[in-house]
Amino acid sequence: MSVRSPLSRRRSAPAALPRPDVLVVDYPRASVGGVATNLILAAVGVAFFAPLIWLLFTSFDAHAGPSLQWPKLTFSNFSALFNSTRLQPFINSLYLAGVSTVVTTVVALFAAYGLSRRHIPLKRTFMLIILFASGLPVNMLLVPVYQLFVRLNWIDSLFYTSLFLAAAALPFAIWLLKNFIDQIPDEFEEAASLEGAGSFQILLRVILPNALPGVAVTAMVTFIAGWGAFIVPLVLNSNPTSTPGSVAIYEFLRINGVVNYGQLASYSLLFAIPVVVLYLIASRWIAGAFTFSGGVKG
Amino acid sequence: MAAAEAPIAGGLAALGPRQDRERFKFLSLGWLTPSVALLAVLFAYPIGYAVYLAFTNLELIGPTAQTYQFTGLANLTRLIHDPTFWQSTWLTLIFVVGSGIIAQTVIGMGLALLMRRALRPLRITISIVIVTAWIIPEISAAFVFYAFGTQGGLLGQVLGKTGDDFLSTVPLLIVCIANVWRNAAFSMLVFTAGLRNVPEEIEEAATLEGASYWRRLFTVTLPILRPTIVTNLLLLTLINISDFTLIFVMTQGGPGTSTAILPVYMYIQAFQFNNLGYGSMIALALVLIGALLSVFYVRQLKPEIK
Amino acid sequence: MAKIALDGVYKLFGDVRAVDDVSLEIADGEFLVLVGPSGCGKTTSLRMIAGFERPTYGTISIGDRIVNRVSPKDRNLAMVFQSYALYPHMTVAKNLSFGMRVRRQPRAEITRRVQEVAETLGLEELLARKPAQLSGGQRQRVALGRALLREPEAFLMDEPLSNLDAALRVQMRVELSRLHDRFRATTVYVTHDQVEAMTMGDRIAVMSGGRMQQCDTPERLYERPANLFVAGFIGAPKMNLVSGGVGSADGSPVVRWLGQHVPLEGEMKRAISSLDVQEVIVGLRPEDLRWARDAPESCSARLSAVAEVVEPVGSETYVVARVGESALTARFPSRSGVSSGDQVDLAFDPTHLHVFHGDLGTSALVPDAPPASPAALEPTETPELGAPLGEHSPAL
Repeated sequence: MSVRSPLSRRRSAPAALPRPDVLVVDYPRASVGGVATNLILAAVGVAFFAPLIWLLFTSFDAHAGPSLQWPKLTFSNFSALFNSTRLQPFINSLYLAGVSTVVTTVVALFAAYGLSRRHIPLKRTFMLIILFASGLPVNMLLVPVYQLFVRLNWIDSLFYTSLFLAAAALPFAIWLLKNFIDQIPDEFEEAASLEGAGSFQILLRVILPNALPGVAVTAMVTFIAGWGAFIVPLVLNSNPTSTPGSVAIYEFLRINGVVNYGQLASYSLLFAIPVVVLYLIASRWIAGAFTFSGGVKG
Repeated sequence: MAAAEAPIAGGLAALGPRQDRERFKFLSLGWLTPSVALLAVLFAYPIGYAVYLAFTNLELIGPTAQTYQFTGLANLTRLIHDPTFWQSTWLTLIFVVGSGIIAQTVIGMGLALLMRRALRPLRITISIVIVTAWIIPEISAAFVFYAFGTQGGLLGQVLGKTGDDFLSTVPLLIVCIANVWRNAAFSMLVFTAGLRNVPEEIEEAATLEGASYWRRLFTVTLPILRPTIVTNLLLLTLINISDFTLIFVMTQGGPGTSTAILPVYMYIQAFQFNNLGYGSMIALALVLIGALLSVFYVRQLKPEIK
Repeated sequence: MAKIALDGVYKLFGDVRAVDDVSLEIADGEFLVLVGPSGCGKTTSLRMIAGFERPTYGTISIGDRIVNRVSPKDRNLAMVFQSYALYPHMTVAKNLSFGMRVRRQPRAEITRRVQEVAETLGLEELLARKPAQLSGGQRQRVALGRALLREPEAFLMDEPLSNLDAALRVQMRVELSRLHDRFRATTVYVTHDQVEAMTMGDRIAVMSGGRMQQCDTPERLYERPANLFVAGFIGAPKMNLVSGGVGSADGSPVVRWLGQHVPLEGEMKRAISSLDVQEVIVGLRPEDLRWARDAPESCSARLSAVAEVVEPVGSETYVVARVGESALTARFPSRSGVSSGDQVDLAFDPTHLHVFHGDLGTSALVPDAPPASPAALEPTETPELGAPLGEHSPAL
């Protein structure tokens, strides 16, 4: 793994908000501790790293097994995946994650704008309910949602499952986006309003571009959750062609008699890559985009 | 503004009612409509439905799949007399408190403290590794730790006992290790942010007064971090108490039910034994426990809020 | 271009009267300055004209229509905000053209007008930059350009120069005046700086404590301040204000002041006779209080004083001198050789005296002016009433 951090080249920009550590922990001015500190940390690091190394090695290993060993290098574990049965779950995961992200982000943006800028009765109560809802375990909803889906004949449908994932992600998304939009100064909207822009235009042309970091975080979090969703599609879907990657890996592990470590490793690795890449890109972009510089004086 | 309803002072009453009262426009609700619709159908309604179903005899298949009925406290009685339920609750507490709260918090704090004083390249590398463990999908992590604990896996290699299948002998431990590995990053990031807000002067002052590192840590640094720690505990509880994937994939709740924490037990009852109604009751118990723990933490935070 | 009128406008935030019964008419093509200290209600009034606040009572009209219920986007106004409010995510060109793009005007037309305005304000080089890359003065011009592009019925400006350094401010003042001469646009301009007000306005509306104190041309504000507040606010250094009394000597009304009996002429004489009190406050501007040695013939009144503070400002020197118990500021020529402690003779023209009602603070010449008690002269810290705390504009 590369040691160069994306943040090691950052400029000292006058940020309006403190830049969050989304990838790398950094202390610009701390003193360095002794050998013990670094050794312990290194040891911990190795402990954390070992399972990841195992995954990497095993996926390239022709004699793959549960132990950490030098791989007998081969691409066969990967090439075995490039057929339609094995790839379909990836596409399904993409569908689930993608649709739920789009729905959540758009719907939450509208709601957050309305809650932030409009006079709505019982706004505070609503926000409190939203906050509590975002802490509710989804497990509680599985039985009734299953029952509901069966009755509405929404079962085995990737689309409706995505909708449920979107609904589950919505409370947190609304809370996050509203707090974000609250911080955008009123003046932009006042100026835009005076220039003749209606509410929807203002949302699209003025608010959204300035809320992009918040929108990005929302989209990223929802996407990662949708991509890794397991119990929800497990319960709401029994159709083999609409099984997402997570459930497919599970079935591959459990339902066959013998565990094919090599292919499972390559499958798990491939399944992990999109999320890791997304996180890297998004966190770097978000960490650099937390100011409204230039719009208002100072 | 609240004062819109208050009477106008000083003789302006003669001018009549204010013209600038915040008038609520129904159109404003339009922004909320899609959210409310989605949440009402797929979130709020299911909550109520879940509570109702917990008191019915609904099954996944069979006669009571179509015509189920309200059975009063039957499920509750069953729950109270169900030894597996109590075992499951106990396992959940061990998992959440032991692995989640204690291990993740301690390790997260330890990492955050170590990071403060580490060499920069080391710090960056370790950060990336630990955060990666957090980001990869749960299924991938579950598979990795399945291999970790199984016969011939990494754990066996390290301990020199490659013949042992730790997933059968100490399944809860393995699952806890996997959980800590995966979630350590969260606590580490939270505490890093918190530590950064601890003013250096206070720690320097303590050092000048002769306090050793550990003494400083426990009497100065940690008390300042108390709200952060409590918030972190709250969030960790919520994250861990609903954990399903990791355990279900690694052990399927077993062997037997020895790792069947409540979310897993709920799934088993509802979707493997087909007892949807009973499963819903178990889910309610889960939410109740989570709520109790949350209230406990919020109470701990209250003196800070003042 | 249209006229703007405020009629009996109040704005209350809770019990606080940010704007208290203000009536104002701005003629078509007029440059009207709203001036006053922080918290006087000028910004709130401007925001009500724009439509960001709704008046609690009263009406606001633009042209011939009452616009109380009209949303800002339909009022056809343009505004330059104090903080410019440039859209940070758009280039200068896009900032300028936002209004036109919102109204879906043809692309060619937009480009042409943007180019035109950019040339007028010297922004051609900056069109592709974003606000973060501009200096304060450049941002201010973009904000101005955005307003100009709209060709609105009137312009509103909220302290647009207050964030600029002194040199730039003077330069921009001249620019704005020139632009106004050229386009003759109805403009309402808010500032706390009375120098800006005096140099730029066709008429100036002085506000304090939410109330309109006086609305007049700069000359009349200077020569006939309606009350103590206006007298103390307009003109720098501040007018000297000392208590005195009225009485008569040889049958004519005189003003007793600093041990003098000053005879009065004409209009002032008539006004004093109809005054219903004996106690008054007498005002004399420092520029009207001269060194006797240097003063013209018309300065018939004399005062003996002791110089206390001597402040040379280059073209002249201001001397604070003590007469009896009062300290007066007088204007001396720059090379007078006077230093602190010197005995000096001061002279003034009695017709330059301003007389104010001792209780009401109104000018003797303007008996129905709004009262401004002598206590109102002390500058107080009033909370900024320009924007309500915590809530967003209800009119959006």
